[in-house]
Amino acid sequence: MPTFTINGMTASVPDGTMILEAARQIGIEIPHYCYHPKLSIAGNCRMCLVEVEKFPKLQISCNTVVTEGMVVRTDTEKVRKAVTGVLELMLIHHPIDCPICDQAGECGLQNYYMKFGLHKSRYALEEKVHKKKVQDIGGQIVLDAERCILCSRCVRFLREVTGTCEMEFFSRSDHSEISIFPGRPLNNNYTGNLADICPVGALTNKDFRFKCRVWFLKSADSICPGCANGCNVMADFKGDILYRFRPRRNDAVNRTWLCDAGRLEYKKANDYRLLTPVIREAGQAIAAAWDAALFTTALRLREAIEAHGPESVAVIASPQSSNEELFLVRKLAAEVVRTPYLGFSSLTPGRRLEDDFLIKADKNPNSQGARLLGITEEGFVRTVKAISEGRIRALLVFGSGLADFSDGETVALLSRVPFVAQVATNEGALSRAAHAVLPSASFAERGGTFTNFAGRVQRFQPGFPPRGKAKNDIEVIAGLANQLGAGWKFAGEESVFRALAETARPFSGMSYESIGDLGREARDGGPPSGGR
Amino acid sequence: MSPLFDLAVAVARIAVFISFCLGLVVILTWVERKGAAYIQDRRGPNRARILGLTLGGIFHPLADAIKFLFKEDFIPDGAHRLFYQMAPMFALAPAIMTMAVIPFGPPVTIAGHQIPLQIADLNVGILYLFAISGMTVYGVVLAGWASNSKYPLLGGLRSSAQMLSYEVSMGLSVVGILMVFQSVQLSEIARGQGELLFGILPKWGVFVQPLGFILFLTALYAEANRTPFDLPEGESELVAGYHTEYGSFKFSMFMMAEYIHMVVGSAVLVTLFFGGWQFPYLADAGFAFPGGVSFAVPAWAVLSLRIGSFVVKTVFFCWVYVWVRWTIPRFRYDQVMRLGWKVMLPLALINIFVTGLVLLLIDKGI
Amino acid sequence: MAIRVVKVARPEKMSFGESVYLLEIVKGLGVTMRHFLRNMARQENIPTIEYPEVRRVMPARFRGCHRLMKRPGGAPRCVACYMCATACPAKCITIVAGESPDPKIEKYPVRFDIDMLRCVFCGQCVEACPVDAIRMDTGWYTMPENTREKLIYTIDMLLEK
Repeated sequence: MPTFTINGMTASVPDGTMILEAARQIGIEIPHYCYHPKLSIAGNCRMCLVEVEKFPKLQISCNTVVTEGMVVRTDTEKVRKAVTGVLELMLIHHPIDCPICDQAGECGLQNYYMKFGLHKSRYALEEKVHKKKVQDIGGQIVLDAERCILCSRCVRFLREVTGTCEMEFFSRSDHSEISIFPGRPLNNNYTGNLADICPVGALTNKDFRFKCRVWFLKSADSICPGCANGCNVMADFKGDILYRFRPRRNDAVNRTWLCDAGRLEYKKANDYRLLTPVIREAGQAIAAAWDAALFTTALRLREAIEAHGPESVAVIASPQSSNEELFLVRKLAAEVVRTPYLGFSSLTPGRRLEDDFLIKADKNPNSQGARLLGITEEGFVRTVKAISEGRIRALLVFGSGLADFSDGETVALLSRVPFVAQVATNEGALSRAAHAVLPSASFAERGGTFTNFAGRVQRFQPGFPPRGKAKNDIEVIAGLANQLGAGWKFAGEESVFRALAETARPFSGMSYESIGDLGREARDGGPPSGGR
Repeated sequence: MSPLFDLAVAVARIAVFISFCLGLVVILTWVERKGAAYIQDRRGPNRARILGLTLGGIFHPLADAIKFLFKEDFIPDGAHRLFYQMAPMFALAPAIMTMAVIPFGPPVTIAGHQIPLQIADLNVGILYLFAISGMTVYGVVLAGWASNSKYPLLGGLRSSAQMLSYEVSMGLSVVGILMVFQSVQLSEIARGQGELLFGILPKWGVFVQPLGFILFLTALYAEANRTPFDLPEGESELVAGYHTEYGSFKFSMFMMAEYIHMVVGSAVLVTLFFGGWQFPYLADAGFAFPGGVSFAVPAWAVLSLRIGSFVVKTVFFCWVYVWVRWTIPRFRYDQVMRLGWKVMLPLALINIFVTGLVLLLIDKGI
Repeated sequence: MAIRVVKVARPEKMSFGESVYLLEIVKGLGVTMRHFLRNMARQENIPTIEYPEVRRVMPARFRGCHRLMKRPGGAPRCVACYMCATACPAKCITIVAGESPDPKIEKYPVRFDIDMLRCVFCGQCVEACPVDAIRMDTGWYTMPENTREKLIYTIDMLLEK
């Protein structure tokens, strides 16, 4: 644990810590481009120069290990002059096309220019070396070689993280540029990260290209709903439209990366949304008020219970729901409806891609949460069997689809149930067949917790209020239960989670405070307590 | 002569005089707008055109008339239907009726029959005038009350208080004239002003009664609800005062009443104070200037000069109405009342007293 | 330039002549008559501008309706950088950016709408524009229209001005 002094402050850091990282830990920001905490150290941008006593020259702080008694200064005129000079060098051939650059607003060059530069260009625009702009290099990435500052983050990422090595430096001197090898575009599932790690606008995201200027965006800490890995993301939105996911650093889950498929998951919250409650009577879909829709649903459920007993009602939960919602669904099925038919399916239609890094075969964010709460996939199989045998008179489905059933299979199955109520965010064969559709809020419009494949409970935060007439699932489930005479008093996801932590053993002792921003492992093992 | 001839002459006189007044009204609306514009360095109405001719906007009264005729004739909810409709008539009718006693010229003799150029030469001329013009206030008050709206009501109340106050000063201010000319018959007063004062000055009311003239002029403006006494329709406080709720032809009737008031008021002013149809130094036979210079003028020329002089004088005072309107701002209400009761009334009484004293002294030959 | 306060001396009491008021009225009538006669005689000196036929020439720096500039080829000069929309205090500019079909141009505005009902004519958009694509030098106000939709100027309308 060497102790060192930086700008007059003394601190102790673990052995082998670089000055840049040590400074960051005590709140001193040292400018840098090529350094990335999750990549190897290249030390080629020269932005992180600091003055270290007894060293004759300035040192790059990203690759200088802190030693006992080291005295570092980052705020001297010498450092400032050096950093300004390095920045001017980088900007010599920069095209300054910020107006059309998607990086503008979160660009390292812009930020540091405002902080260190503010100089007039000494290099005429006509003399600048021009390189190829707008190159589609595959994956989700557009390359603009002109804007590149040759920090090599992308090269290192492809070498060290994906191991695919698609990009390399070409040419020399002024004409040096990064590119892919001819005819060999980016070919991995993590290309989107290149846009994130690129400190300038050289690598930008194709999907986000020209969609929105970043300063209009607000951000909510969220969890990618695309698979069971539960990657931490920032959901960027403007108004009630989501524009992109950016990975949020969580060393225990996704480090600072996000897969390409997960990056596009935000679209679920924008497109094909169910936005108003619908009651379908005699094949006629009628937009209904919430009160009427809940009343009708509860009435039909109660009729089925009274006429054919609680076994005639089934509830299918969704692994897209949060722990809190699943807890309420279980409570509804067990305590209010008292049906033995409760289950969920972690299956989804389409190819279930999987790798050994971030992508999991289970394409639901909360299958593990459902399992920990005692909702089983076996229950789903039993329920489907009961439906196909015609024993179910009323069905309450959560989620936008049924397991990996095709549209035809879904319709055929549901045609055997006289009344189907669905609580979901997106339309599909299920919402077109259901007799009552209760629209619920997307992951960006509500809060809660997901339990990832490893049993890590992580929070996702609401960004904006539900679109249209959609409602938070918790409100919908509680409203339905109260229509059936349950008398629940839940206000918001936190109160539900408190009840959940009290009754469900895997979650015992947890609270939103203890989960924090980065999540916490659920206590694994043992059958769930049941909560009866 | 036959009664039929009398009837024809009467109808002809009514037709001629009324059309003179109404014609003047039409022109006055244009004069008012154009005059206001020029006084305020604007151009004024100049858009209405017939066959590409605008003629300085002279067609605007016509356009106004057509517009008023074709606008929806509505009665607001909550208004008293009967009184609401009666009010404009009550405003217009007395204004037209006062015209009856104005002498437009000396009597003419046609076919051995003497015809006064006056619709009715009443021997109580001035009393009739005051009686009828006093009725105008009913139209305004009725309009204010029947509209069932607060601004018209306030306008009506202001109007009634103001008219009552100034009626008093107005009546007293002409008493001096009556004393000097010893008649209340307007034709007599007009004829009386043909004499000369001290042998050089025409014996016009304004010269024998200067204070009376100023008081009468002031009261006349107050009676006609013209600036600076247009409080009943003071738009800055009362939207449009008593005719706020009126539109279409009913509104135009109020406007016509106001302008007929101006015409008749000017005619009365001219008759009482500016020699009526008298042309200065023009006797029946011809001009007779002070100092013995005289020359004969044919009778028809004398007549037309006299009628012409009446018309010119009347038109001039109509213009003075407009002129004053765009010069003097509106009084505050308490100022109106103070002026009416505490200034004009005492001055009118003093005027009567002084006139009486002077007449007595002249009578005694001092 | 500091604001100069001018104290006008006013007599505390009116003189007798003024309090009688008559002479003052005659003076006032004189003033109005002078205006009347002067304007009658020399109508061309009346400052009124007869609007639809004659338009006031706006000062060179008057901020009027917006227009979008064109490149030599006729394409909009605008690169859809959203600087104007960002600077706009009234939030009246709506831009949808897109990839230009012209290979020489990268980003261009697919839509560029200005809601003239919201615009406060502050000129911030002109100040903000990095490529001098938007100007407010048409020298004219917003035309009156009978629907709100017509007052949302689209990119085609703005390019024509």
